[in-house]
Amino acid sequence: MIKVTINGKEIELEKPVTVLEAARSAGIKIPTLCYHEQLEKYGGCRLCLVEVEKIPRLQTACTLMVTDGMVVRTETPQIADVRRGILEFLLINHPLDCPYCDKAGECELQDLVEKYGPAKGRYKEKKRKAPESLEDPVFVRNMERCVMCTRCVRMCDGVQGASAIAIINRGGHSHMEPFSGGKYDCEYCGNCVSVCPVGAIMSRLHRHSYRPWQVKEKTETICPYCGVGCTVIAQVRDDSIKRVIPKIGSSVNNGMLCSRGRFGYEFVGSSERLTSPMIKKNGVLEQATWEEAISLTAKRLGEIKNKYGGPSIAGIASPRCTNEDNYVFQKFMRVALGTNNIDSTARTGYAGTQKFIENIFGQGATANIISGLSNSDSVLVIGGDPTAINPILGLQIRACSRKGGNILAIGHIKGLEKFNPVTVSPRFYTETLLLEGIVSALKNKKGLPGSIPALEAKIKDISTSAKEVENGCGIAEKDFIRFTDTLSESLTPSIVLGKDIAQSSGGSYKLMLISAINYLMNARIYLLSERANEQGVLDMGCAPDLLPGYRPLSFAEFRKRYENAWKSPISEKPGLSIFEMVDSAKSNALKALYIMGENPVFNLPNSKAVKAALKNVEFIVVQDIFLTETGKLADVVFPALSWAEKEGTFTNMERRIQRLRKAVNREGMEDWRIISEVAKNMGVKLDYSGAEEIFQEISRISPLHRDLTYEEIGKGGAIYPYKGEPLRGVMEDIQMHKGSSVNPDGKLYLRLERPLFHSGTLSTKAPALVKIYPEAVARVSPAVGEALSLKSGDMARVSTRTGSLELPVNIDNKLDNLSVMLTNNFEDKGAFSLMEYTIDPVTKAPVIDANEVKLEKVLA
Amino acid sequence: MGKVLLKNIENPDSADINEYKKAGGYSNLPKALEKQPKEIIEEVKKAGLRGRGGAGFPVAMKWTFASADPKFPKYLLCNADEGEPGTFKDRPILEKNPHLLIEGMAISGYALGAEYGYIYLRGEYPEAKNILNRAIKQANDNGFLGDNILGKGIKFHLAVHQGAGAYICGEETALIESLEGDKGQPRIKPPFPVNVGVFAKPTVVNNVETLSNLPYIIEIGGDAYSKIGTPDCPGPKLYCVSGHVEKPGVYELPMGTILRDIIYTHCGGIKGGRKLKAVIPGGATTPILPPDKIDCPMDFVNMPKHGSMLGSGAVIVMDESVCLVKVCYRILKFLEHESCGKCTPCREGTGWLRSILGRVEGGEGMEGDIDLMLSVSGNMMGKTFCPLGDGAASVVQNFIKHFRPEFEEHIKNAKCRFK
Ligand SMILES: Cc1cc2nc3c(=O)[nH]c(=O)nc-3n(C[C@H](O)[C@H](O)[C@H](O)COP(=O)(O)O)c2cc1C
Ligand code: SF4
Ligand code: SF4
Ligand code: SF4
Ligand code: SF4
Ligand code: FES
Repeated sequence: MIKVTINGKEIELEKPVTVLEAARSAGIKIPTLCYHEQLEKYGGCRLCLVEVEKIPRLQTACTLMVTDGMVVRTETPQIADVRRGILEFLLINHPLDCPYCDKAGECELQDLVEKYGPAKGRYKEKKRKAPESLEDPVFVRNMERCVMCTRCVRMCDGVQGASAIAIINRGGHSHMEPFSGGKYDCEYCGNCVSVCPVGAIMSRLHRHSYRPWQVKEKTETICPYCGVGCTVIAQVRDDSIKRVIPKIGSSVNNGMLCSRGRFGYEFVGSSERLTSPMIKKNGVLEQATWEEAISLTAKRLGEIKNKYGGPSIAGIASPRCTNEDNYVFQKFMRVALGTNNIDSTARTGYAGTQKFIENIFGQGATANIISGLSNSDSVLVIGGDPTAINPILGLQIRACSRKGGNILAIGHIKGLEKFNPVTVSPRFYTETLLLEGIVSALKNKKGLPGSIPALEAKIKDISTSAKEVENGCGIAEKDFIRFTDTLSESLTPSIVLGKDIAQSSGGSYKLMLISAINYLMNARIYLLSERANEQGVLDMGCAPDLLPGYRPLSFAEFRKRYENAWKSPISEKPGLSIFEMVDSAKSNALKALYIMGENPVFNLPNSKAVKAALKNVEFIVVQDIFLTETGKLADVVFPALSWAEKEGTFTNMERRIQRLRKAVNREGMEDWRIISEVAKNMGVKLDYSGAEEIFQEISRISPLHRDLTYEEIGKGGAIYPYKGEPLRGVMEDIQMHKGSSVNPDGKLYLRLERPLFHSGTLSTKAPALVKIYPEAVARVSPAVGEALSLKSGDMARVSTRTGSLELPVNIDNKLDNLSVMLTNNFEDKGAFSLMEYTIDPVTKAPVIDANEVKLEKVLA
Repeated sequence: MGKVLLKNIENPDSADINEYKKAGGYSNLPKALEKQPKEIIEEVKKAGLRGRGGAGFPVAMKWTFASADPKFPKYLLCNADEGEPGTFKDRPILEKNPHLLIEGMAISGYALGAEYGYIYLRGEYPEAKNILNRAIKQANDNGFLGDNILGKGIKFHLAVHQGAGAYICGEETALIESLEGDKGQPRIKPPFPVNVGVFAKPTVVNNVETLSNLPYIIEIGGDAYSKIGTPDCPGPKLYCVSGHVEKPGVYELPMGTILRDIIYTHCGGIKGGRKLKAVIPGGATTPILPPDKIDCPMDFVNMPKHGSMLGSGAVIVMDESVCLVKVCYRILKFLEHESCGKCTPCREGTGWLRSILGRVEGGEGMEGDIDLMLSVSGNMMGKTFCPLGDGAASVVQNFIKHFRPEFEEHIKNAKCRFK
């Protein structure tokens, strides 16, 4: 126990803390400026100076650790003078342009001066001048207002880990050199902006559009983009989101956001939003009333069901919609239409990977707490860049490295390259051999634990030496040995697994090998998840073989339970997967397709073929917030309310159930309500008063969500299985598919880039993200570029068997010489339009790594 | 007492290892290696050696902290940044007697259990860099440095790192930041470098002159050494004298030599027989002294009692032709330029003071400027992160304290009479 006296008040402390923390714990205020709770100590502003007995010099409370018996005074006339003096120094070169500055009202300097500052100025010299800079796409920088606290730099270096900014020059010439037009890998997370105490760096998105005190509505909700599920505060004025900020202390992201979460909200107010239902008449979509659209949908679905049977109809649910939307949707498909034909884009990798791993390790095996990553002593990363796909999870990997943990990367992981990863990069199509090598090495070092015989049976005969890895994968023996040694010496390892594995040939076999590594290392495994409710859409039963609560349809006992609850029979026949729906459309067997919040014509590989197949479908309904490529094919289009305009819940990759709260009012209906109206018109009762009532039903019947209430979820710790029982102990045989071997020599392959700044097409409706990453580019290595004398910015034609695109080229010196990277985010320029796929028979995921591509220079 | 630190430097080849050896060099390293590291620290303690970089911190105390820290490896850094205006005392050692420093560092490294040493060299000493590098190579070739010093299995490697010209990088924690490749700015203390220094390992930073005393301490023993100069602050000291004296230069004299004697006896008095106006006794940031205050013993313990500090031992002598407002302005201009910008009072205060001084000197002073300067420097003094800012405040305070009428005259007459 440490006893300190501050201003005569005795304070007892369990462990040594700073004088500032001790004072705050006792409710004693000490003004600070460079201090920030998320950041490393600095001691630069000198505002927190206090008197300490027995120390002749004044001490900064934010850096000085308390010692037993310390006597501190924070409110003496001398200290008052000091504070006045420091604030005077901070103001002499400050422009004092509060009336014009967006920060006014929430500016720490303004507040401090008001409370402690000098009454009048004595500075008669010239002030330092620095023009306001708008050279950055999303930030505005005003170095005259900068107080040199370095909070931004400490955030960017020490927490975000981007090291994109620095204070350059010295003394009074110091200024923050920022963002630098891509020169220093700014990740546009805006976390520097969050911690800037003054108006020196701010978001351009809301520039001069409101005053902080005018945002009455501050809604705590969940980011709409990825499966991390960050808590965000949406600040709203006049039903328009003015700003999105993080919250310190929130469970997942604790005061941090990524570019998408912070700057991607503008799609909500986009003028391109659908405003009215539409019905296709003579091949043209025309505005219609809600009644017309709903009754037409009900009528046509009823007719088709009667004529061709329920299984001729399919539904595509959405990992961007809430649990409540998805729950009602699958119930509608099963009860009103009598089919299990429901699936989502989770099928493109996440669903199959999770099922594969859970089959071996049990349900919940992939549900691990994101913040736990930083406490691992090593993190093995494979199948995608976590810092781009799930940026906030990526931060935890960086934090692990900062705490002394090892990062083990298979393939080049750009966002981790500054964190000393131990990297092994196998040649194309030799990842399997590398994984076999790793499994062999771990078997030798650690032995077989004996607890999962079925898995051990699959790996017992694998024996690949370091030499074979060297010859086959092109990884030097010593590098391989260093990698496996580091891994095997780790005591608390984690594995972070991206979708590229499931989407590569032999994906299920690789998953078996990765599971074996997980098993031999007794590691924790994390699945990267690209959509905010990818887990939830599965948990809600939006899968052809799952019922709500992730219950397998094949178990009669579960079916019975839901039949009782829903008072309706449930077909025991598993439905079509999303890819089987496409096939079925192609063969004219699929007669109607109901799509909620998804854009399969763009978001599925071989999108041209998807489009052609969907054209065969007699009746298509699309609910969405924009008129997508898929919507254009539809017979009825419903405008849905967006993420910001409704209540509900999302389930993140940790299986944390979190609440979305309505931030903005907008006329219209939630997705579930549209479905419920259609059902009503079909004579099926699917009525709920609101999202909460739907959730009550979920928590009543889904064993995973048992007894969970909105109130409980609101507290932030509702991690599944919540009071529920794990699924079962039965393990199916481990099936896998090795895929065919390919000799890639001399060829080029089209690969999917999963960018930090975009997510689906949604982010392309957010102007700020488009400014940061404006267009589709073909990324190639310097050698590939050189061979065709292509420089960055030149136009190239990228062609595969399914078509070609003309795209500007970007030379990326981190790329191998076999790849052309392209995103699937920009309309008409998506990689999927050029990609064919095969289906992995085990995971049912599309394999897209064998798309040969031709690159030609387009002469201007 | 013969010369210790500047021994043999009249020899044009003094920097060569053979000349150094001929003059008795490298005879103390073998002697030191016969002793236990602890015994060497004990000798240094008996010697009463204080750091010559400016602060006069007891060397043995610093070493004891570092050697007591269980972390390895440990580092020995030689501060050869020599940035304080008026200071050029380390330069003759670096350029003329590099092996003395190397021998001193090898002994110190052994005493500390440090296997690596760096000499952080002032950016503006390119010549010294070549000389040091050549000397280090010779020392390596002769077994005085390296993995197996004199066949005793003792390891000590030495490298030169050249600074980029920032004065603040002479401050030991900024030096460490700079050595690590970061921007040169002081670090929070504690932890002190002796526990968490370069690369987060225990680190001792000592000045060139400090470390160059080691061979002699080994040679004559701590007790004998402590008899040289002032009892509380013994040893030989280099005084570098510049300005209006007949014979400016670097003088090796016993600690505690009286300032007046340095100026009038050793340096031959004021140039041209003119009148002395003021002396800055220990480098630009030490308090200025008027002519009637120069009967003070130049050492770390006595100078504060006489209203100034020994600092780096850089004596700057000014005769009556000098405008002190201009001198004050020049020093503040330097300190403003060199302020690292980390802390508010120094970053903003140096510039503010320089502006006012510039106006006053240029004949545009206003009534109240002197009090304003005192108030501004008062707002800096004791509130800055490192001593640079305090130094700036102290310069202004002391110039005004001793020479206020000259400032008043500038304001009243709206011009400088020295122009
Ligand atoms: C602004 C500033 C500049 C300094 N410059 C130097 C320098 O150039 N050389 C030096 O030896 N010490 C310099 N010092 C002192 C060092 O911080 C440190 O005290 C010294 O290197 C310790 O060595 P010593 O104990 O041998 O004197 C400086 C200190 C400050 C605050
Ligand atoms: S936006 Fe993020 S990455 Fe960019 S400078 Fe700020 S903290 Fe660094
Ligand atoms: S830009 Fe803001 S956070 Fe960064 S140093 Fe300046 S005031 Fe501090
Ligand atoms: S990490 Fe994911 S959930 Fe978090 S802010 Fe970024 S996109 Fe949103
Ligand atoms: S006093 Fe402050 S600003 Fe000045 S040099 Fe030291 S740390 Fe830097
Ligand atoms: S808050 Fe303590 S020095 Fe800035």
